[in-house]
Amino acid sequence: MTAEPTLCAIVPPYVLDRLAEDGHEPAARSLALDAAHRAARLTAALPDRAAAADRLERVISDAAHRERLPGRTVRREGEGAVPDQSVNHAYDGLGATWTLFSAVYSRHSIDDQGLRLDATVHYGQDYDNAFWDGRRMVFGDGDGEVFGDFTACIDVIGHELAHGVTQFTAGLEYRDQPGALNESVSDVFGSLVKQYALLQDAAEADWLIGAGLLAPGVQGVALRSMKEPGTAYDDPRLGKDPQPAHMRDYVRTGQDNGGVHINSGIPNHAFYLLATALGGRSWERAGQIWYDALTGRRLPADADFTAFARATVAAAKARYPEPEVADTVTASWAKVGISPT
Amino acid sequence: MDTMRIQVTRTGGLAGHVRRAELDTTERVDAPHVHALAREAVAGGLRAPSYGVPDGYHYAITVDGRTVHCADPKLTESQRELVSLVLREGA
Repeated sequence: MTAEPTLCAIVPPYVLDRLAEDGHEPAARSLALDAAHRAARLTAALPDRAAAADRLERVISDAAHRERLPGRTVRREGEGAVPDQSVNHAYDGLGATWTLFSAVYSRHSIDDQGLRLDATVHYGQDYDNAFWDGRRMVFGDGDGEVFGDFTACIDVIGHELAHGVTQFTAGLEYRDQPGALNESVSDVFGSLVKQYALLQDAAEADWLIGAGLLAPGVQGVALRSMKEPGTAYDDPRLGKDPQPAHMRDYVRTGQDNGGVHINSGIPNHAFYLLATALGGRSWERAGQIWYDALTGRRLPADADFTAFARATVAAAKARYPEPEVADTVTASWAKVGISPT
Repeated sequence: MDTMRIQVTRTGGLAGHVRRAELDTTERVDAPHVHALAREAVAGGLRAPSYGVPDGYHYAITVDGRTVHCADPKLTESQRELVSLVLREGA
């Protein structure tokens, strides 16, 4: 790898490799503005409001391969990088997520009250997962056969923290359609964290969740594809990516809380369609509409896809006077089989 | 009881990927230990699945036909050890 170490701290190696392959010098340079540094500058540039709510505060702990939380504190806000890259990836990913919500949506941390961002790395032995436990992000190292280190993907970190944002806002129930929306909102903002950090527009983004997370040899590119749900992997060990992209293929199952990680493909694809139809930077209009719908206090906790679609159309109308924007939102939902009208 | 059939189904997780494994203790030298673990794990389990935390794993543990449920990160020590043993060494 030829990239600078500072880039490695936030950008997964595959991105660096791809950029290097593409000879994408300007993009590579823009990456040097890594999100943690931007966050630090943003904080420094803020007027003296003296409110803790405006400051990024991170604490990374190490579970040392046990399943006890929180583990031992290994890096606090402002402390330099440590030899353990999982710690640094988690630290930088939390920073990148905080920066997106702060800089783009004026949100003060995930609860909008300046909540400290806590994460635990090296949870369990060969633990194949990352989750949000209601207060902190928890990352396993992966087993190395199917999954690698879960701190490696900035979109996965954004995904987990977005569960926190949902918890503090719409509180979408973690089952069936509201659960699939909860998952989808996390994929949307996880992807936006990555796109924002890489300064990619909708056409450049890969729209993958967990690209680089699958271990070498696994037949697949990521956990999910928002662009083409159902195509992220097809592997003897993992099976085939089961995500639908349209309501006609909605999966009814008792597992996974009613398929929350499966049916999220439908609203994921609606967001992708909107962002690419609007063009430009996805976090601007498309992301703002989703953010407004999520945080607008009108969405019930048991919202189904149609209720959420309506909330996004209402948010688009409220925020953007030109009717084409709301019409594009409606059209994007219609393409996945959901009529918001 | 001389032998036990222990099944674990893990669902949910960030990837939403289902994993199942079954362990038969018939020829295991550590059968008494595994049986004790299984009895404790079942005693500490729930009769019905809970929604759990976002992206957390859910486990259904079935011991000789009786199924209980538990979810990360609130597993008892015996549930942790049993689940990890069955998923690692079961078929």
